[in-house]
Amino acid sequence: MGKKTSSQIKLKKDVLEQSLCTGCGACVGLCPYQFIYRDRTVQLHDCDLTDGKCYAFCPRTPADYAGIREKLFESGDLTPEIGAVKGFYLSRAADSDLRARAQHGGTVTALLELAMDAGIIDAAIVSGQNDAFEQEGRCIEERNGLRGFAKSRFIVSPTVAAFNSLPGDSPKKIGVVATPCQALSLAKMKAAKLEDHQKIDQLKLVIGLFCGWTLSMEKLHGLLHQYRLSFGALTGMDIPAGKNILEIYSKTGVTSVPMDEVDACVRTACRYCIDSTAEFADLSVGAARFGGECDEMRGWNQVIVRSDRGKELVELAVSKGVLEVRHAPAHSLQELKKAAVEKKKKALRQIVDKSRSKKNLLYLRSDDPVVKKYL
Amino acid sequence: MNKLLSPAKSKVLFLGNEAIARGALEAGVSVATGYPGTPSSEVIESLASVAEDRNLYVEWSVNEKVALEVAAAASFAGLRSLCVMKQNGVNVASDFLLHLTASGTRGGLVLVSCEDPGALSSVNEGDSRYFARMLEIPLLEPSDFQEAKDLTKWAFELSETIGNVVMLRSVTRMSHASGNVVCGKLPAKNRKAHFDYDGPVMDSQTGPMISTPVVAKHLLHQQKLKDVKALFEKSPFNRYEGPAKPELLIVTGSACFLYAKEAFEILGIKRRAGILKLATTWPLPSALLKKHLLATDRICIVEEVMPFLEENVKVQAAGMISRMTGKSFFGKLDGTLPSAGELNPDIVADALGKILKVKRKMLPAAYVAEAKKAAALAPPREQTFCAGCPHRASFWNIHNAIALDGRKGFVCGDIGCYSMAALSPATGYHTMPTLHSMGSGTGLASGFARLTQFGLDKPILTVCGDSTFYHAVIPALINAQHNRADITFIVLDNAGTAMTGFQPHPGLAITALKETVPAVDIAAICTAIGAKVALSDPFDLAGTGKILTDYLAEKGSVKVLILRQACALSPEKKGKKQFEVKVDDALCVGEACGCNRLCTRIFRCPGLTWDRTKKKAVVDEVICAGCGVCASICPQNAIVKTQASQAM
Repeated sequence: MGKKTSSQIKLKKDVLEQSLCTGCGACVGLCPYQFIYRDRTVQLHDCDLTDGKCYAFCPRTPADYAGIREKLFESGDLTPEIGAVKGFYLSRAADSDLRARAQHGGTVTALLELAMDAGIIDAAIVSGQNDAFEQEGRCIEERNGLRGFAKSRFIVSPTVAAFNSLPGDSPKKIGVVATPCQALSLAKMKAAKLEDHQKIDQLKLVIGLFCGWTLSMEKLHGLLHQYRLSFGALTGMDIPAGKNILEIYSKTGVTSVPMDEVDACVRTACRYCIDSTAEFADLSVGAARFGGECDEMRGWNQVIVRSDRGKELVELAVSKGVLEVRHAPAHSLQELKKAAVEKKKKALRQIVDKSRSKKNLLYLRSDDPVVKKYL
Repeated sequence: MNKLLSPAKSKVLFLGNEAIARGALEAGVSVATGYPGTPSSEVIESLASVAEDRNLYVEWSVNEKVALEVAAAASFAGLRSLCVMKQNGVNVASDFLLHLTASGTRGGLVLVSCEDPGALSSVNEGDSRYFARMLEIPLLEPSDFQEAKDLTKWAFELSETIGNVVMLRSVTRMSHASGNVVCGKLPAKNRKAHFDYDGPVMDSQTGPMISTPVVAKHLLHQQKLKDVKALFEKSPFNRYEGPAKPELLIVTGSACFLYAKEAFEILGIKRRAGILKLATTWPLPSALLKKHLLATDRICIVEEVMPFLEENVKVQAAGMISRMTGKSFFGKLDGTLPSAGELNPDIVADALGKILKVKRKMLPAAYVAEAKKAAALAPPREQTFCAGCPHRASFWNIHNAIALDGRKGFVCGDIGCYSMAALSPATGYHTMPTLHSMGSGTGLASGFARLTQFGLDKPILTVCGDSTFYHAVIPALINAQHNRADITFIVLDNAGTAMTGFQPHPGLAITALKETVPAVDIAAICTAIGAKVALSDPFDLAGTGKILTDYLAEKGSVKVLILRQACALSPEKKGKKQFEVKVDDALCVGEACGCNRLCTRIFRCPGLTWDRTKKKAVVDEVICAGCGVCASICPQNAIVKTQASQAM
C-alpha cells in the first residue's frame, strides 16, 4: 500500500504553490510547523502526519462547501449571491466618539463591546499590527481595549491563528472578527466537529467583514516606496465610493493612489475568492456605498444578519440603543448582490483560467449550486 | 616526568605523532609551528608540553602558510625547526613552500604532513606527496613508530645536508596508533640564532634568502636532490624482506607496509612473495629499485590514495625498458587496488590473492556467524552535533530565518564541526549545500551574492568558526565588503579550535605556550572593515532569530552576526549542566497533531529520545548537556528546564 501524502505536502501543493493561500492563519498555531511571516504562510519544517488539521481547516482546500452552508444556516435564508440573509440593515454606532475612530459606522466595534457586556463572549479576536507592521490576530479581553483596532488595514491578518493559539484549557467564550476566508475556515472547523478539537465550542460569535481583496504586504511595500511612504507612517486607508482611488492616510497627509496601481498589489489568492460578504459569518458588516447617496452614507455600515446568533445580537444592540439602525433602501440590497455576483463570476473565470478546465475548479466543486450558477 | 623526555635507550609507548615529536627533540629542534588539523595536532601539542624543559618556541600559527613562514625564519637563523599540518594544510602553505624551496634553508627544516586517506576526519583525502615531486624536495614515509621517530631525526640532518626543506608524510593509522619506541639521546644544548645576509647571493649560508637568480639556484637545488638520491640508495630505512627471486614483488611504504605484511600472513605467501619497503619515496633510490625489479616478473605497488609511488616506479622501469619485457605491474592504475580511500589488510590480501591466485584462509563459520550477530547489535548511528552543541541551535536559527524569508536562501559552508551541517544534511536542517576548504565559504558567498544581475536573487549566508575566521576568512570577507556582496556572515564562535581539541587561536587570551596575551577581537575586525556587526547567543532562539530575519530582509553588503556560545565539550563546560531538563509527561502531546515529535524527529539532539511505549519524549539525563535549548522549541512547553544546582 502506498504511503499517504502528508497533509502539509498536500497543503503546499494544493494551496501554497497554487497561490491560493489567503494568509488567514487557519493552518497556523496548531503545530510548530506552520507560520505566518510578513503575510506569507511558511512551512518551517516537514511534518509527516496525514490527517492534519492544517489541511482540514484551510479555506482553500477542496471541501463540500454547499454541505457546510446547509449545515450551518437555515436553508430558507440562503441566497446564491450573498449567502444566508435573515435581515439586511444600514447601521452605525450610536456613540459618535466610536464612530470617529472607526473605519465607517463603527458597527463592528459596537457589537463586540455589547457582546462582551452581555456575556455572549469573554474575549474578541481582532486584527492588530505588531512592531514590524505585520498584521496579527489579537485576543482582546478588555471591552475598552477594542476601539484601538477599529481601522481597516487592507492587509490580511492571520486572525484564525490567534484563535488556534488560544490555550486549550481556557473556558473563555470567543468572538472573532473575520474576513470571508477566515469566516470560511472557522465554519469548516464548526462543521468538521473533530473529536480532538473541542476548542471550536468556545467560538460563540463570528462577525464577518465585507472584503473585495487584500493587498500583498510585499507589493504594498513597493507601492508605498514609490509614493515615498512607509508602513510606519501609515495611519489608515479607505476606498471612497465612486472615485476609483485608494486614499492612504499618513502623518504627512492623504495620498491618492489610482485603483489600477492598487489592483497590481492585490494578493494573488484574492483573485480566486468568490465571497465578498463573509457568507459564513453570524453577521457581516461592510461599508455602505451606493448610487447617489455616497457622501451621506460614508458614516454608515451595511449589515447582513445570517444566523440566529447574529440576529439576537443585532436585536439586542437596537433595544439597548447601541446601534442606530435604518432600513436599507430597496435598491441597496440589489446593488450589493450585483457586486457580489460580479466578484463570483470574475473569480470563477480566474479559476478556470488557472486550471484550464471547467471541471477542475481548484478548491471549489462544480456541483456546488452557487458555483454552478455563476460559472 | 613527561614521557616525551624519557631517557636514552628507554622503551616508551608513543602515539605516532609523539614519536615524531620525540624525533624532533632528539634532533635538537628549537622552533615548532603548526595549525591544528586531524590527524596532525598531537605533534605540536606534545612539543608545547615540553617547551619549557627543552627551551623550545612552539606556536599555533594562524594558518599553515604562516606556520611555515615562522618555521622558515628559525631555519634562516640557523635553528632547527619543525612545521606540522594535515594534508590540506600543505595546499595552504604551498605558495610560500614553492618560494622557500627555491631560496633554500639553513637550519634543518622538516615539514610534517599528517594525511587522512579515506577522509576519516577531513573533507578531502588529498595526497600531498606530489608536492615533494613538484617542488623537488625529499620525501620520507615512516612505516612504524620507531621509524617515525628515527626518520624525523634523520630528516633534520638531511635538510641541512641539502640546504632545503624535507617533507615527512604520516597517515592517520600511523599518527593516531601507538607503538613502542626505543628512545635516543636528547641533545644537551640549544643552538644560538643568528641571521647572516651580507654574503654573496649564491652563498646559501651567508647570502640573502631569496630565490633569485632563479635558474642558477634551481640548478643547484636539482644537483642537491641528486645527492639526496645517492644517500637514499644506502638508507637503512629502505629494506627488502622475502625470497631472492619472488613470484611477486610488493613495493610499498608507510602504513601500507604493515597492511602488506598482514596480507602475507592471511594468504600464507611469505615464501612466494617479497616486500620492498621504501621509506624514501621521493626521489626514488633507482639502483635499489632496479635490483629488485629485475629479480621478479610481477610487481605490485601498494599505497594509499594516489598512485604516486606506482607512477614513479613505472618511470624508473621505463628507463630500462629493454629489460622489462614480460614483466607485469599491478596497482591502482590497472584497478588491482582501489583508486581511492583507505586500504586495510583485507583489501590488500584480496588484491594479492587475485594476482597469485591464492584463496585466503576462510574464518571458521561459527566465528563469522557470531561476528554477524554482534554487528547487528550495534545500532546505526548518524553523524550529528553533540548534545548541547551551540551549532545545533545556530543552524536551527539559520534554518528558520531562511524558511521565514521564503526565497530559498542558503548557507555556504566551511571547515569545522559545523561542516556536519553539510555532511549530514538533517543535522544542519538542510541549509548548507556547499563545503570546501577553510575560508572558502565566505569567498563563495561573496561570489553568489554578485549573481543577482544574472537572476540568482536570494539571501546568501555563510558560516565560519572562530579559528577559521583568522585562518583564511578575513581576505574573503574584505573582498565581499569591498565588492558590495550582500551576504549574511555568521561566525559560529565556540571559543576555541573545538574540532581538533581546543587549541588556542588569536581570539583567545592564551597561546600554545600558555602565555596570556590580548585577544584579537572578531567583532572589532569586522567593524573595522565597515561591516554591520551584531552579537548574539545562539541559545537565545528568539533574539538570534530576529537578528537573522532582519539581516535577510535588509539590503546592503556584509552583515556580520557573531553567535557566541562555548562548545559543550570545552574544558570550562564539560560535565557541568546549566539546566536540569525534563519532559513533563502530562504536557507532551507526542504524535498527535500536534507537534509530530518536533523535538526528536526534527530538532534531534541526542539528549532527547522517544519513548516508544509511552509515546512521549524523554530526556536522557546521561547524554543531556543541560543547554536548555529544547525547552524553547517545544510548542507545548512540555520540556521544562530548571537551573541546575551544580551550575557554573
